Amino acid sequence: MSTYRRSMHPATVPRTSILSTLQATSIIETKTALPAEILVAILDYLPVRDLLRFARTSSRMREMVYDDTRWVARLKSMGLWNEAEARKRFDEAMKRKRDAAARASVHSASGSVSGRQGSTTIFDATVEEERRAKQAAQASEAKIDGFETLSLTPAQPKSPFEDPTALLDVIKNAKSVRGHAREEYGKIYGALAPFYFDLARAKSHTEPIVFKVFRDPERQARMLSNLQTFSKSDWADGWLEREGRLTNMLSIFESAVLREFEQGYEFWDVDGRMRRYAHVLHFLNGGSAAMDLFIQKHPIFNDREALGNPRDCINKAAHDEINLEPSRIFFELLSRKLNEQSDIIGRMFPDAAAVFWTFVDKVREDIIMEYATPLLDETHDRNMTSYLKAVSGLFEQCMQFVRTLEPPKGSTGTLEDHAKEISLRVFEPHLDLYLQEELDHFLKHAEHEVDDWEQKLSEQEATVESFYMGNFNRQVDKNDFLTSFKKVVMMPVTVIPNAFGSSRPTSTMSTNSTGTLRPPSTPGSSSRPHSPAVSGTLERSGSPLPSEAPNDELKAKAALMANRLEGIRGLFSIEVALNLVHTAKTSLGRAAKFIRLGGQAGEEAREQCEALFVALLKVLGQKHVKNGFTKAVDHLSRYNPREISDHSQTGVAPLVMFIELVNVGDIISQMIDVFYEQQLAAPKIADRNDFMDPAGLAKKKFEQMLDENVAAGLNKGIDVLMDEVEYLCATTQLPTDYNPLPQSQETGVMKNQDIGPTNTAKRITDLVSSHIKMLTGSTEKTMLDVFNSEVGLRLFTAICKHIKRQRVSTEGAIKLIADTTMYFEYIRTLKNPDLLAYFKALRELSQIYLIDARDAKDMATIIADGDRFGGIFRAEEVYEFAERRADWYQVKRDVERAMYGLECCVM
Amino acid sequence: MIKLQSNDNHQIDVEKPVAECSLLIKNMLEDLGEAAVGQTIPIPNVTEPVLRKVIEWCEHHRHDPPSTNEDESDNRKKTTDIDEWDQKFMQVDQEMLFEIILASNYLDIKPLLDVGCKTVANMIKGKSPEEIRKTFNITNDFTPDEEEQIRRENEWAEDR
Repeated sequence: MSTYRRSMHPATVPRTSILSTLQATSIIETKTALPAEILVAILDYLPVRDLLRFARTSSRMREMVYDDTRWVARLKSMGLWNEAEARKRFDEAMKRKRDAAARASVHSASGSVSGRQGSTTIFDATVEEERRAKQAAQASEAKIDGFETLSLTPAQPKSPFEDPTALLDVIKNAKSVRGHAREEYGKIYGALAPFYFDLARAKSHTEPIVFKVFRDPERQARMLSNLQTFSKSDWADGWLEREGRLTNMLSIFESAVLREFEQGYEFWDVDGRMRRYAHVLHFLNGGSAAMDLFIQKHPIFNDREALGNPRDCINKAAHDEINLEPSRIFFELLSRKLNEQSDIIGRMFPDAAAVFWTFVDKVREDIIMEYATPLLDETHDRNMTSYLKAVSGLFEQCMQFVRTLEPPKGSTGTLEDHAKEISLRVFEPHLDLYLQEELDHFLKHAEHEVDDWEQKLSEQEATVESFYMGNFNRQVDKNDFLTSFKKVVMMPVTVIPNAFGSSRPTSTMSTNSTGTLRPPSTPGSSSRPHSPAVSGTLERSGSPLPSEAPNDELKAKAALMANRLEGIRGLFSIEVALNLVHTAKTSLGRAAKFIRLGGQAGEEAREQCEALFVALLKVLGQKHVKNGFTKAVDHLSRYNPREISDHSQTGVAPLVMFIELVNVGDIISQMIDVFYEQQLAAPKIADRNDFMDPAGLAKKKFEQMLDENVAAGLNKGIDVLMDEVEYLCATTQLPTDYNPLPQSQETGVMKNQDIGPTNTAKRITDLVSSHIKMLTGSTEKTMLDVFNSEVGLRLFTAICKHIKRQRVSTEGAIKLIADTTMYFEYIRTLKNPDLLAYFKALRELSQIYLIDARDAKDMATIIADGDRFGGIFRAEEVYEFAERRADWYQVKRDVERAMYGLECCVM
Repeated sequence: MIKLQSNDNHQIDVEKPVAECSLLIKNMLEDLGEAAVGQTIPIPNVTEPVLRKVIEWCEHHRHDPPSTNEDESDNRKKTTDIDEWDQKFMQVDQEMLFEIILASNYLDIKPLLDVGCKTVANMIKGKSPEEIRKTFNITNDFTPDEEEQIRRENEWAEDR
């Protein structure tokens, strides 16, 4: 072609300048020629035969045709080019070359180095040839030790039809060698092209030479499969038609073989015809047709009824219940049958595992889903509880079922993965509904529970409320309670029906707990309709199932707790909380099963679990606890000590109630915490470190709500407590306490010897200390500290106010000192140094009443001595106190004189 | 309307969509924008008869869907048969055929280039090396031995 000449041209023209070169080129350009890139494009359209003839026209054309990428592309189109393998070969060849070069340079340092280096080729033909020769010796494919010799060797049959067996493996034996792609392709082409073009020309399906050379169906199938692969590398003009003919021939052949297979199937000739033709089909195109036929016509899909009727699960159970025993039997039966089939499939099919799993998938679709869907729909319509149980139960059974399968050898993926996939497919259509229902059901149940309880409460409102004042150690009790709670929470939720026990306690729990609410301490005042629950609890603990033990223990503890906390039963109940947590746990346990599925479904299930927890907190927090607190605070604010006739008890009823409430709130909060840790954080449902996690947020919100309510209540509580203190001061303090009548001084010597604190002080101390003690450990420590100091300060003010209202004589001063000392001693137990200072001052202050009237001057010194009172009292204040002396008017002048005199000095 | 000017200074008016069959012209127009209006676009490598031929092809194929850019992905996709009109269109002397191919290559009209290449490929098909040489004016630079060597190397491709 003229291009060739053109490329030679610049060499002949002397390179004077670029311009002259250009001019020279343009002269020749007038003669039409095709540049190399267009020639390459043209070559792409040529059939192989013409391509190679074209190569013979000139060395430039040969170079173009022989270009390795051209042939690599053909091999690639057949899927026979392995880049990694090619690279490995290349690297190995290079390494050998380097080694050889190194050896050579060692041997003859001054030798013909240049000659050796000149011979560096990318592909080491000799080594490759040796390797091939070795391979060729092993295989039946004799004497093909390099492509060049193929046509030279006289032993090589002129027609490939004469040595058919070698042809079968020609595709398999293809190698990826850089620089030799053309030769590799040539081997394949030489072997297959004659059959291919013959087939494309054939007029009937008996004519093609393929079927004449190969007589048995196995080899025919392999050859046809080879031809199909080969046809992919044919993209010359008319390939579409040729391929169409090949495909046509393939399908005729396939259907013939399939017919044979089907006949074998009818006679159940597993190891004979079925096996044989399954293998033939496998050679042909992977054997999916045989697999489809096998699965399609499998008898297992016809006698579905024999495996079990889904309605049994409903019919065999009590009303509104569900019995999962029949479904278990169903799955067991199915598993046994499938394992039988697994064996048969293993004998029949070459790629048994794939066939088996496809078969299982079909079983899943046609049998399991046909079983599960009506059952679930039916239960969904009938009863929600049994629906929820059925979904999680069946899911578990389904997972278990797949785990018991015995797939044929060579199965990919673990059984667990298959179990997940199959279960996911079965339950995918139900999952959304189920998760939604689970949440709804829980919400409904929880709200019902709370409402129910509130209604019961309002019925009792009329009856006398009694408060059980607990002097027990709450800390210990609470810990005790929480340990048993933890035990119960950690128990796994079992949804498989053979452990009926665990799913039932929720229901028994509710009936029992309402029963156990009956407090033994106030047998008369309670008007609950239930029979005493002690017997009920005993019955339950007599249950043979050991798994129930912690539950019973917890229940007993809950009852005990309830008894002690009887005081707040009008506000909220720990039983209700416990019950809700239990229900939540069951629901969560059921829903959490689906998390294992992973992927989107698992994620949805996980989110739903969190939603359950959030719902629990919402119902428990917003509806139950908060209401209780509001009511308690309400009670508190309405409290007026003057309206209560009976003050014999050392407690302010609503405050005691409130403090009990704080305690219960704390228990519930801890319960929630344990629940969160065990059920959500431990199984990775919720992420503890993710501050945006809805469950974590809800929990925080709940705790915050609790704290806020406690704080608000305590605020009110302090008011109430002080009201009570003031009331006590006003009502119980006898005027003679601090100012004993003179005659009593004479007649009641005995009485005077009793120099302990007054009754009022005792009661106030008792009152305050008992309330503060009750709070210990029930809420946050900082909050308690604030509460304590507030109470102390207010107490201080109240006492000061009280003293200012009294008249104190020198004799009575002893009593007052005793009182203030007692306050001081008490405050010391609070371990609050700031607060202590006040009471210390108070104690000091009380001494001014002891000073004899004659020492008015000293008194004045004391009054003016600010340091004495630690800066708590100013002189004016002390002066006010001094005014309360019984003999004030007698000493006033002296004191004032002394004071003002002193003051003058000071000034 | 776009004015094109051939190698030999002939002006040819072409509708814009037709001219834009050529990616070269299309891109150029896009780059120039408003500045191109009324301008004459010189096509220096193409003579008037060839340019007219090319435009004829473009007129006929103006409604063809634009080719998707997957030319390299599959060898088979581009090997479709030449349609009847194109076959007739390509019935020109060899000089003209090559000119068309060169022009379509220069103007970047891929479908026309493909048709041209296919036509050339069909010309090669079934010919002996000697015939090919004669057709394409190729000088044989092989010795007879060399040529025989290549023939034997590739004997597998010959019909048996």
